[in-house]
Parts: sequence; C-alpha cells; structure tokens
Amino acid sequence: MKQSGMYFADILASLIHDMKNSLWLVISTLESITAEALPRTEQEKVFTLQQEAKRLNTNLIELLTLYKIENERVSPNIEELNLAEFLHELMMENRAAAHSQRVNLRAECDHSLNGYFDEGLVRGVVNSLIGNGLRYTREHLLISATEEEGYLVIRVEDDGEGFPPEMLAAQDVCDNHALFAGGRTQLGIYFAGMVAKMHRNRAQQGYIRLTNRHTLSGGCFALFLP
Amino acid sequence: MTSFNFKRHEIESKRFLLVDDFGDMRSMLRMMLNSIGVRAIDTANNGVEAIAALAREHYDIVLCDYNLGRGKNGQDVLEEARYRRLIGLDAIFVMLTAENTREWVMGAVEYEPDSYLTKPFTKDLLKSRLERLILKRQDLQQVAAAVSVHDYPAALRILDEKIAGQPQNLGELTRQKAEILYRAGEYRRAEVVYQQVLATREMTWARLGLGKTFYATGRLEHAARLFQGLLQENQRLTAAYDWLARTQQALGRWEEAQQVLQQALIHSPKSLLRQRALGDLALKNGDTSVADQAFTEALKLGRNSVYKAPLIYVRLAWLKSRSGRAGAALKIVDEMEREFNSSDEARLYASLTRAMVEQHRGSPDEARRLMRQTEALYAALGANAAAEQMLEMARSYAELGELGNAQTLLEQVICNNHDDRMLLQQVEALIAQYALAVDAKRHVASIRREIVKLNNRGVKLAKTGRYSEVLRLFSDAVATMPDNKVVNLNAARVMIMTMHHGGIAQEQLARVRDLLDHARTLDPAEPALHQVQQMYRDLMASSA
Repeated sequence: MKQSGMYFADILASLIHDMKNSLWLVISTLESITAEALPRTEQEKVFTLQQEAKRLNTNLIELLTLYKIENERVSPNIEELNLAEFLHELMMENRAAAHSQRVNLRAECDHSLNGYFDEGLVRGVVNSLIGNGLRYTREHLLISATEEEGYLVIRVEDDGEGFPPEMLAAQDVCDNHALFAGGRTQLGIYFAGMVAKMHRNRAQQGYIRLTNRHTLSGGCFALFLP
Repeated sequence: MTSFNFKRHEIESKRFLLVDDFGDMRSMLRMMLNSIGVRAIDTANNGVEAIAALAREHYDIVLCDYNLGRGKNGQDVLEEARYRRLIGLDAIFVMLTAENTREWVMGAVEYEPDSYLTKPFTKDLLKSRLERLILKRQDLQQVAAAVSVHDYPAALRILDEKIAGQPQNLGELTRQKAEILYRAGEYRRAEVVYQQVLATREMTWARLGLGKTFYATGRLEHAARLFQGLLQENQRLTAAYDWLARTQQALGRWEEAQQVLQQALIHSPKSLLRQRALGDLALKNGDTSVADQAFTEALKLGRNSVYKAPLIYVRLAWLKSRSGRAGAALKIVDEMEREFNSSDEARLYASLTRAMVEQHRGSPDEARRLMRQTEALYAALGANAAAEQMLEMARSYAELGELGNAQTLLEQVICNNHDDRMLLQQVEALIAQYALAVDAKRHVASIRREIVKLNNRGVKLAKTGRYSEVLRLFSDAVATMPDNKVVNLNAARVMIMTMHHGGIAQEQLARVRDLLDHARTLDPAEPALHQVQQMYRDLMASSA
C-alpha cells in the first residue's frame, strides 16, 4: 500500500514537473510577445492567454501541495525571512502582469520586519491571491505585511467590489465547503486556509480572514501567521 | 519599497553557466539572462558536461536544474563542484527546482546551494534574487574565507561583530555561528546558541543542531529522544533519520539503527552515504541480503557522485565471495581498479580482496601468495596508511586465519585512535567476528591513563619552570605513539605554551609545524587541531 502510494506520488510529481516546464515556456514566450509593439486588442488577447497559463500553473502547484498534505503529512519548512525582501520578490514576479492590466501594484512593509514561515508555501498562496486580485480590482492592488499582536499579517487588498456577504459569512463558521463550492477562484482561498493552519508556534496557529474596506475600498484578504 | 545599494552592471558583468537537460529551457533561460543584460553565458546539457565546463572555465553564477535526466542530478553537480573546488568561494550556485525540494535536503547534505528557485519564475524575479544573493555573498565573504581555511575563531569574530549590529539577517547569522561553533568542536557553546534560538521559537534547524551537540557530547539517550521527536513532527526530515541511526549505533542498538535507515531510504533512496551506512549496519546485523542490496545501490549511485569509495566495492565483493560467487566478486574488484585508476588505495584493496576470494573458494595457498603481495603494497604506503586500510588488512588476515597478524594490526589501530568512538566500534566488531584475542577496552583505558598521566606530569613540571623537561616528556610520547593525533596535538600545544614563556625558538617552531601537519594528515576535521592551530597563529602574531 505504502509502496504503491509512493509510486503514484512520484508519477504525479514528475508529470506536474513536466507540465510546469511546458507552461513556463508558454508564459515566457508570451511575455516576449507583449514586449513587442502589438495593437491594443492583440495585446489584450495575449494578456488573457498569459493570465490563464499562470492560473493553470498556480493550480498545479496547489494540486501537488494539497496531494502531499493529504498523503504524506507534509510539515512546513519554517525559516526566518525578511518581509521587505519577500514582498519585493513578489512584486517582481507580478509587476509585468499588473502593468499590462494597468493595475497599480504596490507593497508596504517595514524594512526590519522579519517573519517565520515556509517560503514556498506562502509564496504560492500570495501569488494566487495577487492573481485573483488582478481580476477583481479596478485600479489598485496593495500587498502589505505588518506585525499585529504576535502574528505576522500579510494582506492583499483591492479596490474592486469586495467579497460577497455569503463568503464573509462562510468563513465565520469555518465552512470550507461553502467557500470551496463558490467556484474555481475559491480554490485559492481554501488552499490559503490550509497553508495558514499548517503554521504553528506553541499554542498559536495560523488562519485567514476575509474583510472588505480595510484600507482600500474593495476586498481584503489577510493571512495571519504565528 | 526595498532599495538595494546595488551597483548597476553588477549582474551584467558576471559569467554564467546554465545547466538544463531540456534544450528549450536552456534557450529560454538564456533569453531571460540576455534581457537583463548578461552576455557571458555558457550552457551544459547534463551533469558531466557541467562538471567539464566548471573545470575548464571560471564562472561567477551557476544556474542548475535539479532534474537532469539520467546520470548526475543537480545536487551531484553541486557536491562535485564544491568538493573539487571547481567553483570559488565567491561563486553563487542556484538550484532550479520544480517544487520545493528544500525539505528533504535540509541538513542531510554537506553542500547546500546558495538558493533554490522554484520554476517557473519571471526574469524580474530572477534578477532580484540574483542581486540579493550577490549582496549576501559580499557580506559574508570574509566568513566563508575563514571557514575554508578552518580558521573558525576568525569566522566567529566576524560573525559576532555583525550580530552585535542587530542586522536584518540576524537569524541567518546566528545559524551560521552555531554551525561554525559545532564544526570547531565547541559543542557546549553551540548548544547555548541553539537553546537561545529555541527559547523564542521552535525551529527545525536549531532543534536538529541541538541534537547534534547532545550526540557530540555523549548524551546519547537525549539525542535519540530528540531526533525521534523531530521525526514524529515530520517524517520526511531525512537528516533526523541519519542522526538517529548514528545515535542508535553509538548506543550499540544496531538493529534499530538499521530500521531507521531503511525508513529514511523509503523517502529518499538516492543517497549514497545512507545506502553505504545501511550496508555496513546490515553486515553487522548479519542481514546479508539487505547489505548486498544496499552496497549494490551505493555502487550504482557512486558512478555519479564524489562520495564513491573503494570500500563499497570491497564490501560487495566480500558478500558475493562469501555466498560462493567468486566470479561476480572478482568482476567487482576489477571494476574498482578501473574506477579508481589503480590508485595505491584501490590496488591495496583489490589485492586483499582477491586473497579473500581465493581463501573462500578453497585455494588457501593462492590466497597466502596474494596476501604477501598485499603486504608489499601496504608497506609501500608507509605511515600514510589510513585507519580504514589497516582495518581491512586486519580483516583479510583474519579471513585467512593469520590471527596473530590481525591482532597486531588492530592493537596498532587502537593505539593510534583511542578516542575515535566510531572507529573503535569497528575494531570491536572485527574482534568479535573473528574471535580475536585483543582486549580493546583494556587497551583504550590504558592509553587514556597514559595520556592523562603524561599531561599531569607535564603541568607539574611546567609549574616549576622546568620547560626543557616538559618538552622531552612530550617528544618521547610522540615517539612511542607517533600516529595518535591526541598525543601529537598535546605535544604541539605544550611546545607553543613554553614558547609563550621562554620566547620563540626556530627549531621548536619547525617541530610544532611538523606535529600540526602530521595531525592534519591523521584527521583534518579534528576540532582540537583547529584550536592548536589558532594557538600557533596567536603565538606568531604576539611575536611579530
């Protein structure tokens, strides 16, 4: 049983590895196309392709991670990281996408703020939130990190419509299924919740919080890490 | 946002090596680098090509995919490059991975890349990461340089100065400090640092480090419990399995140690060192089929790794020969000679293994003839014979029934290495296996007593200012136990101390250097060696 489980995980991992390689080629080839001067309408098509390829990639990462969490009892690899550097890299990763969608992407964080978390997992979460944010925002997208009452809080905020009331309500009763049933954009939120919970320090455990109108007028997704 | 004090054109002027087995990937990475202004880019399709390129050219930055198809993987390339010093201290090695592979390598390998980068990434991210790594490298350049020449006190001084400034990367510096303290043999100080970290937050690296200090200071039960606890939290933490197995072994629980390694290999079967350790344990436990499998695997992995070793071949050949497969055994011996270009060591091992094979297949006369040839090869090694080689010689003597020769050699091994716990265990295993008439424990105890007595007498003489007598005392000790590193280092220490009082004498200085050189060939990793080297440097500085 154990043996066949390992075998499946190996196949899954190597298939996903291969798919990600292909997607990377697609994404970066598209990136080199947008760089050239295309008519506005064509640019938008290329952008759509790019966004969908990125979403696929994000989903693959989530899929593989969720599989591992279910089957291998993965525990996070906690490291000390500087948040200014971490957010800087996230900006760099998403700058081109934001620019082509004419969204003003900003990051705010104290230079000396350090946190303890699994870099790979949290990067996946925040990237997926930024991807969602770019879809729902009007003009602005703000990523920020602060320390609040012993927790590191990473927020992604937009100035779009905000989260619908049923989603805000679902999180209070910890109804993952309601969140999850909301459609494919909610997978990211479910995943974020799983990753947050995997972070523990002594009695504290990570969690997520959805609110509206935090500092911008739209939705605010907050990841609380102990 | 974060503003880096970064000179423009810093990345642009660097020389890059790209390693990926996938052509499209190579051209894409090249395009990315071109677009951030890099011009000097070479590529390699696989691990062998990468090593060849690194041996030929100087590179500042290596971007290497972990997954390189058949043959060497990215970790093999990194290990060989650093081990053979094909890349400089200032070189940056970035491992490109499809997913987070960090967990299973953490602490389990000696050589870690400067960074892991998970694919896919944008050129902006690549640029920003490389800038950060270059800055970090510049910041820690002096520490790395000091560590590379084993000048741990200097490395620690620099780190302490940096730590005092409460920098952003305090955690990283603290971790380095603890690791260097551990390497320098300052286990208690390392323990304090790990405990301090753990007092504020549970960190796996600190917990693992704490366990290592328990192990190193002989608190084996504590160490075992700690590693077990880590594995309960995370069953994929391979480093914890390795340390737990080592601890169980030190406790004499060989069966448990074997089980632990077998569990680790389920998660990460491609570790040569672990397969080899399993083979050795299984042999001790008489589990020949597991041993055969493990050494076969280790031998296969060794074709791509710097950790390949003739002893893996020797063990496997012995196993085959013991089960009546002389032909297979001799083929393995031939392969060993080829793989190691008939080095002195490989020829010695080949010769003694052939002698054992002849003995096993019922040709004792031929076996004895080959053993006499082996003795000539062994004699040619002279004082350079390593403890490992002496043990193998002893084993061959025992196999051939020449018990007296085996006993004499083992007594010599004990005499040279009375404080090496792992080696003494091997000696004891041999004694038990062949029912030899050597009382290892009594030997060790008497050598220990001898050394303590010597030191006490030396201290007494030094107190009354009779330095020349102290020197004579320790010189005599070196003459009776020339290959015991503790005796060598004690003599060097005393000579340095007397020069602090009585002034520098050139002749004596040369003698100290000889002793240190000899101690270094006996065991370059001996922590006390670095302490005495530091004393020597201090002496030179104070007289300058």
